[in-house]
Amino acid sequence: MSYLSISHVTKKFGDTVVVDDFNLDIEKGEFVSFLGPSGCGKTTTLRMVAGFEIPTSGKILLNGADITDKAPNQRNVGMIFQSYALFPNMTVAQNIGFGLRIRKEPEATVKQRVDEMVSLINLEKHANKYPYQLSGGQQQRVSLARALANRPQVLLLDEPLSALDAKIRVSLRAEIRAIQKSLGITAIFVTHDQEEALSISDRIVVMNTGVMEQVGTPFEIYNFPTTVFAANFVGSLNNSSAEVVDPANSLISIDGVQFESAVDLKQRRKGDKVRVAIRPERLSFASEQKKANVVDATIENVTFLGSVVRIQVKIGQTKFNMDTFNNPFLELPKIGSMEQVTCSREAVLVLDE
Amino acid sequence: MASEKIGKVVEMSILTRIRRIPFWSWFWFILGALYFLLPLYATVNFSLRMERDVIGFKAYVRAFEDPEFIKTFLYSNMLALLTIVASIILIVPTAYWIRLRLPEARRIVEFITLLPFVVPAIILVFGLIRIYSSPVKIPFTDTTLLQPLTTFEVGTDILIVAGYVVLGLPYMYRSVDTGMRTVDVRTLTEAAQSLGASWFTIIVRVILPNIRAALLSGALLTFAIVVGEVTLASFLGVPAFGPYLFLLGQHRAYEPAALSFASFLLTWVAMGLIQLFTGGQGQTTGAH
Amino acid sequence: MAQTALNPKSSTPAFDWKKWLGVIPFFLFAILFLVLPSLRLIAGSFTNNEGQFTIANILQLFQEQSILDAYWLSIRISAATAIGGGIFGFLLAYSVTVGGLPKPLRSALITFSGVASNFAGVPLAFAFIATLGRTGFVTALIKNLFGVNLYQQTSFDLYSFWGLSLTYMYFQFPLMVLIMAPALDGLKREWREAAENLGASTTQYWMRVAFPVLLPSILGSMILLFGNAFGAYATAYALTGGRLGIITIQIGAQIRGDVLHNPGLGYAMAMGMVVIMAISLMGYSWLQKRSERWLR
Repeated sequence: MSYLSISHVTKKFGDTVVVDDFNLDIEKGEFVSFLGPSGCGKTTTLRMVAGFEIPTSGKILLNGADITDKAPNQRNVGMIFQSYALFPNMTVAQNIGFGLRIRKEPEATVKQRVDEMVSLINLEKHANKYPYQLSGGQQQRVSLARALANRPQVLLLDEPLSALDAKIRVSLRAEIRAIQKSLGITAIFVTHDQEEALSISDRIVVMNTGVMEQVGTPFEIYNFPTTVFAANFVGSLNNSSAEVVDPANSLISIDGVQFESAVDLKQRRKGDKVRVAIRPERLSFASEQKKANVVDATIENVTFLGSVVRIQVKIGQTKFNMDTFNNPFLELPKIGSMEQVTCSREAVLVLDE
Repeated sequence: MASEKIGKVVEMSILTRIRRIPFWSWFWFILGALYFLLPLYATVNFSLRMERDVIGFKAYVRAFEDPEFIKTFLYSNMLALLTIVASIILIVPTAYWIRLRLPEARRIVEFITLLPFVVPAIILVFGLIRIYSSPVKIPFTDTTLLQPLTTFEVGTDILIVAGYVVLGLPYMYRSVDTGMRTVDVRTLTEAAQSLGASWFTIIVRVILPNIRAALLSGALLTFAIVVGEVTLASFLGVPAFGPYLFLLGQHRAYEPAALSFASFLLTWVAMGLIQLFTGGQGQTTGAH
Repeated sequence: MAQTALNPKSSTPAFDWKKWLGVIPFFLFAILFLVLPSLRLIAGSFTNNEGQFTIANILQLFQEQSILDAYWLSIRISAATAIGGGIFGFLLAYSVTVGGLPKPLRSALITFSGVASNFAGVPLAFAFIATLGRTGFVTALIKNLFGVNLYQQTSFDLYSFWGLSLTYMYFQFPLMVLIMAPALDGLKREWREAAENLGASTTQYWMRVAFPVLLPSILGSMILLFGNAFGAYATAYALTGGRLGIITIQIGAQIRGDVLHNPGLGYAMAMGMVVIMAISLMGYSWLQKRSERWLR
């Protein structure tokens, strides 16, 4: 039996279904991200685990106990908000000790635990400051410490990094992950930022319009997306409609240009419409040895993006992006010239149209 | 069995619904509403009973027909208008200049605009009378600059309008300053300048139209303060509506009630217009 | 040092008097009609009948029982209406912001408060006479409903301390509503959720978070209400006709004719009022700054 189990959870506000039949089992110590655009139901799902929303139907079990209808203050789950939500009238230390004092822990225990937490987030110097005297990143660390001080069963993070600057966002996300791992605490992390989800999670749940699109490790989600939405939302992607040419040999054609895929197409029939997806970094100029999937392409545009050079090529009637790593000796192709472009069979993903 | 179950469910839902009604909120709200409305109702009720056993508007007709009422009411409206114009002429350029060129004067000017809170009307009029009921002289000499303002009509009018500008200063200044902040007059001015506009064009065609709502709300609040004002008007002895109403109350019963309710409606119109112009963001508190 | 010598402009920014020309009309006006009158009163309170400097007037202020009584009565009425109006206004603001009442009631209350907080002076006094005077509507209502004659069977009198306080409340608590409603809006929903999430009950949230956060605002607003009532003259004069000896009425009498037979003492009385108003305004702005820091 899993540690946290969300089964058949549906949430409606009036007639609108915000979360539709959500099923997920989370193991103890696991770090799971809910990834999706705004309004996809990820935050509502998180708030149902926290107890701020009650599911219209379905069950939530935590450590064997049914918490579906339990009041938020009876759950002992830690929540971290996008806006930090630190109590402005309390110092850092008082904020962190809040939950323990509510539980009427002895003052000595509170003090010891607060000290422990303050050093965990490296804010020893600021323990007696008020939230308005801290930077956004520091405030969010305090909020993390405040949630952890209670030794919650699950840590819930609702877009905790979205209000921060890009640099702090990256360093704090590493810090959160390190603390989570060292404490072995179970965590659910809600975000709309795919890079964040990919870098921090054990598993990712991709959500769209209240429905789970795909669940998997970051590696699986990125390399083997199973739905068009998941493929498009995570990473950048070329996709184009195509036609199955030869199911037995996994051959498809884009505007008459044939590609061979590693995906088993035996379930499909010749002439079926499908969607083909290829990541830009999987395309490259053909070297002479390679024979499979070598196609002619016209160079349309070249964009310099720093570490990467993005080349737009036209294969058949469809434009594809192709990414190559930058190096000072790179010879950039001329716009309008004809080149040969290739990709491996594994790079050609075939999804339902 | 089934019906029993349904009965229980219905009972539960009624219970939860009752618990959802915020009892205390309603309690305080209704109490507040009574406090607001009872005096108004009592006033209207009283004002309609001038004739025995008949509900009618006789008190209103009588009050509005009184030539003295018409005279004092018009006079008070004129004072209000003059006060508004004087406030705008005084405050708009000052606030604009401070935003544009002289931010270092902000603190002192804001301090001055708060002073009327410290110097209530009764104290202000006390000081004004003591200063301006004697001839204005050049300091340390015997040269008289001006006859005492309180000895002639125009002088008194100048004095009372000045006093009203002072009373309205906190509201007018804050209203105008907030208006200028929200439209960012500095950028607007620079944009207009770069397009070749003259100062006159900038102020009349760019700044004023953009702070229109702020000006209107400041003006209406000033109007509400001035039209019924009693303290300054009675001590300076001007024939204004406030003192007239007060005197009328000494020897009449029904007409003052009618006029009181009418003033309430007038205040309401002014405040309603402010809400309308500022979308509920306007400063809507005056001084007493 | 060498740098300063090379670049004198950066060390002392030259006082650019031309810029100040733009605010001269404003300052001139403020001096003529606000500063000079105030200074005249201050100067007067330190001058004796012969025009010499004295502090006798100030000292006499604390010896004259009738003046002390007037101040004390004013302070009591102002405090009572500030506290009463403050609490009631807070509860009203609470009920329409976070108290769960329907939205339209909120805008109705805010509009009404804007009107009522500006509705003072003679019309307000007349409205209360029609309500709670001897033949007032509510007086009659209480007589009919409970058989109690307010004026004969109880010590109530509209023209007394409690009567005037009730009348002042009509503009006091709406003012509180207008100040507190935005402050209550400033309470973030996340604070409540964070508190709940950490195990706090609704009561614990209010006692430990919401109320402490609002406290500077509440106290500051009450001080503002105090000043608002303390400086009021017209309402009291119209209601009691000068019978209730609050400080503004005493000053009014002094302006009309030198009832104290000592102009200097009259000035001192006015200055005492200004001092009390100034202290309360400073208290207000200090508390306001504290609360803005939190409710940003």
